[in-house]
Amino acid sequence: MTTAKTDEVVKEQAAPATPSDQRERDRMRRRLARRRGGGWWPYAFLAPWFVGLFGLTIYPMLDSLYLSFTNFDLLTPAQWVGMDNYSKMFADDPVFWDSVHATLLYVVVSVPLKLALALGVAMLLNRDLRGIGLYRAAFYLPSLLGGAVAIAIVWRQVFGGDGLFNDFLAWFGIKGQDWISSPDTALYTLILLAVWQFGTPMVIFLAGLKQLPKDVFEAAAIDGATPVTRFFRITLPLLTPIVFFNVVLQIIDAFKTFTPAFVISNGSGGPLNSTMLYSLYLYKKGFTDLEMGYASALAWVLFLVIAGFTAVNFIASRYWVHYDD
Amino acid sequence: MGHQISRRTLLRTTGGIAVAGALGSALSACSGGTGAGSTSSDLTMIWWGSDDRHAAYKKALATFQKKNSKIKIRETYSGYDGYFDKFNTNIAGGSAPDLLQMDTALVAQYARKGVLAPIDSYVGKTLDLTGFSKTLLAAGTVDGKLYGVPSGIGVNQLTVNRSGLEKLGLKLPDREWTWADLKKIAQDVYKKSGGKIYGVDDGGGSTLQCFEVFAREKGETFFSDDGKKLGFTPATLQEWWEFWADMRKANASPPPAITSAAHNDLTKNAVVIGKALFSFDSGIYGAGGSITDAQLDFLPTPQGDWSGAREGNFVNGGVLLSATKASKKVADSVKIMSFFAQDETAIKDMQLLRGIPPTEKARNLIASGLTPTDKLNVENADYIAQRVGKATNALPAPVPPPQGADQIWDLLFQSNLAVAFGKKSIKAQLGEFFDQAEGALGG
Repeated sequence: MTTAKTDEVVKEQAAPATPSDQRERDRMRRRLARRRGGGWWPYAFLAPWFVGLFGLTIYPMLDSLYLSFTNFDLLTPAQWVGMDNYSKMFADDPVFWDSVHATLLYVVVSVPLKLALALGVAMLLNRDLRGIGLYRAAFYLPSLLGGAVAIAIVWRQVFGGDGLFNDFLAWFGIKGQDWISSPDTALYTLILLAVWQFGTPMVIFLAGLKQLPKDVFEAAAIDGATPVTRFFRITLPLLTPIVFFNVVLQIIDAFKTFTPAFVISNGSGGPLNSTMLYSLYLYKKGFTDLEMGYASALAWVLFLVIAGFTAVNFIASRYWVHYDD
Repeated sequence: MGHQISRRTLLRTTGGIAVAGALGSALSACSGGTGAGSTSSDLTMIWWGSDDRHAAYKKALATFQKKNSKIKIRETYSGYDGYFDKFNTNIAGGSAPDLLQMDTALVAQYARKGVLAPIDSYVGKTLDLTGFSKTLLAAGTVDGKLYGVPSGIGVNQLTVNRSGLEKLGLKLPDREWTWADLKKIAQDVYKKSGGKIYGVDDGGGSTLQCFEVFAREKGETFFSDDGKKLGFTPATLQEWWEFWADMRKANASPPPAITSAAHNDLTKNAVVIGKALFSFDSGIYGAGGSITDAQLDFLPTPQGDWSGAREGNFVNGGVLLSATKASKKVADSVKIMSFFAQDETAIKDMQLLRGIPPTEKARNLIASGLTPTDKLNVENADYIAQRVGKATNALPAPVPPPQGADQIWDLLFQSNLAVAFGKKSIKAQLGEFFDQAEGALGG
């Protein structure tokens, strides 16, 4: 229904202009033509944006590309070393592979869990209950707090050896361990933290669910489709564009995760590099070990990997994302 | 090279814009005033430490400013976490502080990279180092030049929860003790406490206070004299890790989860959380909340009990005060260093907060005001300094750690942990350690 309505609006706008519209447009065109000669001032208004784009994005990016071929310790001039940083990374740096392993595991486990939870909660919140706004806010809250250092610190306390989580397990007679300082479980506490922050994709799912045509569901219900069938046969297929959008964004986000890993491991990526997420390793190399050239190379590899994942996502999307045209 | 210049120019330009912005807002904020004193003329000083140290620095600096009203000091302080990250970023961005508290472990790297200003030319003029011993000044000396004034004596010692020991009916070991004695008493702690308390925190990955002493007892150093290689053999490290594997097996040391949790976090140290009574981390004294009610004591790092064992303990310089080369106020910074080295009020304000004062005069000045624990700390340091001074078989004081040193310390810690968690055998980890350490030193 809503989509149909939007279409109508679009059609109205695209309808042939009335004579008075036409006159108005011509007047505009003439006015613009008159000003074309001395038209520098629009650029003046755009200048801050250009300064931002070139000074804060393009120049630093190209600079880091250059630095990735150098030995640069931040304090003395950079020395050209060619492909050394890249070859060292792949052939000669076990910590790099530790970080790749940790990051891939983090992405592969956290993104699907987070999206599944987001969709599940979005379905639950997609009703007309009293005080539903409050529930939505409550579920969204962790995402607002999520990036904060404070939450990561709290997480450290909760999953530490004498933390709340072990107190909780103790009720059931289970003796916990120090989840954060054991190499087998530390990464999963980070994943749990990521999954807990499902608010953003949830809100997007919720918006998507609101757009679904009600009559289709009504028809299916009348035909005897169970809620499960309706979910898998109607909701999910109709929602695939939204799912796709969330998948792409969440994968990019997960690859870039830094703060929780930094805070929870005290900046060490430990125990045994199990929480050495890629961004954390990059930061360590650049700012702690003063290997800014190497860190730049790491950054470019990350950039290419994210670009690659996104491209694959877009190609794969042709086979599973349905648009209603 | 051309690249470097363009970067600097750009940074300067953006810096200029930032300053202009700041000035603009400053001026508008105090419109009607006679023009604020330009903030850029202040001398910036940074340090890391505990709240107590911050308070002491501020108090001492206030005294300094009363006497030197022309030097305006802007103080910035934080914990150790991120301190050098921020310093590096400031240096690279052309906004280096003028004066900073420097780590003895890092001074050589920064000096060799040309970040720090040599201050030899001020010694005996505005920099009064009367009473500083040569070995102590070595802590701030890199390639023959002085780059920092040591604030105090640092020694390799264990911090002991003495009242905890006494509660278990155990006596504080003698200062002339060995690694075997350490093992024995640590095991006794576990037994007497009914398995509730391990003896000593796991030292297998602990570098400065621990393995370096052990290697020196074997006649080996941690880094080679030129700083380009490791100074110890795989056999020594193997023996070391085997000793600690044995300690863990005997419950003399805690399991790896406890050790791992304490990494970079003094508040999780096994002694601080009451899971051990001996710690190699001297930082826990004054940092741990839960041990404040315990009576602490101090012991030298144990001695080797094999034939031909040497004196392994040594004395270094606590923390340093250094000036940066880019600073235009090195002369003023040196005045402040001299003030902290000699001024009576400054010495009294700082107490033991930057280590045990470096001169006899300073130690006498603070002696009367010390807490009982502080007194024990000073006594133990004196004991070690004297023993090291008398030892005929001790190696010379270690060279300042080269670039990559902190990566190797971290590697040592992680390696010991990998063994402790059972992820790697000692033999396998040994190979990896030497491979990676050489890479870090070479690169």
